[in-house]
Amino acid sequence: MTRAGASAPVPAKRWWTGPSFLIGFALTGVIVAGALLSYVWTPYPPTQMMILNRLKPPSATNWFGTDQFGRDVFSMIMVGARNSLAVGLGAVGFGLVLGTTLGLLAAIRRDGFLDNLIMRTADFTHAFPAVLTAIMITAIAGPGMLNAIVAIGILNLPYFARLARGVAIQVWTRDYIQAARAAGLDNVQISVRHVLPNVAGVIVVQATIQFALAILAEAGLSYLGLGTQPPNPSWGRMLNEAQTFMAVQPWLAIFPGAAIAIAVLGFNLLGDGLRDAIDPRLRRSR
Amino acid sequence: MLSFLARRCVALVATLLGAALVIFVALEVLPGDPAAVTLGLNAAPEALAALRLEMGLDKPAPVRFLAWISGILTGDLGLSYTYRVPVAQLIGERMAVTLPLALAAIILATSIGVPLGLLAAANHNRPTDAAVMIFAQLGLAVPNFWFGLLLVLLFAIGLGWFPAGGFPGWQAGPAAAVKALLLPAFALALPQAAILARVTRSSMLDTLQEDFVRTARAKGLAEPVTVVRHALRNALIPVVTIMGLQFSVLIAGAIIIENVFALPGLGRLVFQSITQHDLIVVKDLVMLFAGLAILVNFAVELVYGLIDPRLREAS
Repeated sequence: MTRAGASAPVPAKRWWTGPSFLIGFALTGVIVAGALLSYVWTPYPPTQMMILNRLKPPSATNWFGTDQFGRDVFSMIMVGARNSLAVGLGAVGFGLVLGTTLGLLAAIRRDGFLDNLIMRTADFTHAFPAVLTAIMITAIAGPGMLNAIVAIGILNLPYFARLARGVAIQVWTRDYIQAARAAGLDNVQISVRHVLPNVAGVIVVQATIQFALAILAEAGLSYLGLGTQPPNPSWGRMLNEAQTFMAVQPWLAIFPGAAIAIAVLGFNLLGDGLRDAIDPRLRRSR
Repeated sequence: MLSFLARRCVALVATLLGAALVIFVALEVLPGDPAAVTLGLNAAPEALAALRLEMGLDKPAPVRFLAWISGILTGDLGLSYTYRVPVAQLIGERMAVTLPLALAAIILATSIGVPLGLLAAANHNRPTDAAVMIFAQLGLAVPNFWFGLLLVLLFAIGLGWFPAGGFPGWQAGPAAAVKALLLPAFALALPQAAILARVTRSSMLDTLQEDFVRTARAKGLAEPVTVVRHALRNALIPVVTIMGLQFSVLIAGAIIIENVFALPGLGRLVFQSITQHDLIVVKDLVMLFAGLAILVNFAVELVYGLIDPRLREAS
């Protein structure tokens, strides 16, 4: 029962109806659907070359036109989405699992040896530009999708480690942790059963935002020829190849770039929407 | 204060040495035989032996590491295998392109991002605010190399106002050189401007709610005076920090942007050295980039500590 004029709780706006979440969900939905669909259907085989049909403008037969080898740009973008998402999943998964584990370990004894070692290593990794890490890996192991995943995954590590540690340190001060300890659980058991579930929410939000960064990084590496290798289509390399023909066929440079921007924007907005849901205090619109 | 400075300096030296060790192990120890990586699979045994001697690979790894560090300290970075010139000379020549490019990008990003952030904060929850936030979201989502291509498409190919790529050199006159660097600098500045707009807006909104701003308003100061003299100075502290932390992102961006615009800078050099397997140049350049990022972070932390004594104590 509430009285008029008293501080009645304001009904919370449903977070899944917020504009950030809705637009983000729609944009990522398009990209994910395109990627999944490409497993069963593309307008043309993405690597099929039709030299007689090269450098054609967008039309009813080739929606986004064709490239310098006569390959269908729309089909290549669909398969490119699959590769971008695969690198994103691999890189963010790598950073999330390893980073969160390290963050939880560091939080067990704040300012202890392990905490200092892990956090200083995280600082150090953070100072290293991702492209440089990728460049070093490529210089030794050669270019490729797997190397790109490892390089971008290493970039992700410090974000998850810091975040998990920050939240976990607060959780460790709670009463129920004392209770769990009294019940005979050891540090690792407490971390897994009681700390991890409390950290999971913010980690998922961060993962969405890191996913956007991973797609951007993969595109950059592929543009430089250090990421996904031919004949596998990738958005970054499509842009690189388009540069030569840009003066005659500008759309070649427009569609793959727009695909990257849509994917990154989608995951960023989705992350913002989820963040609003998990911690309304962080709402940026204020 | 002195102990704060001393602790930070020790940490700086340790981080720099750590970076050097990681780079050395990654590029000289892990590949097994760096000479074989440099010369490729079909290298003649005599050429391999000669290069091994030239790279000092007959000596144990710790000795080579110390020789490399002392070389860095004395400015002797070795000889590039592909270009056959001292690496220090190569870096010096390429720096004349990358340094002005990075500086121009920072200036552009600041002069676009900070005023936009202030504008958004001043018009909080109004259409101007929304427009700035949309710009910021787009600026973060658009890959800077694609933005660079779009700029080329519009201003170089379409309107013919700027060259599509290449660099005439400073000897061709400052006007031609600046003209060649302007589009790449814009492309490099876009994501930075978007980040700065968001941080400035958020920081300004926080500061405007502080007690000292309320006091200034209660004293009867005009709103522009309150905002500029009291709020702005405080709001800019996190902005400066973010600018410093974004430096490594700027370096990474420069590597790609220099390739988009075919600029003969450090980014293009490191990329070319990889494709040519010139590990000597790769090792020195990666160390230079990492060292710069670490030094800038150190400087930001130091300045921040000087401004805010609480941080000095906390660390």
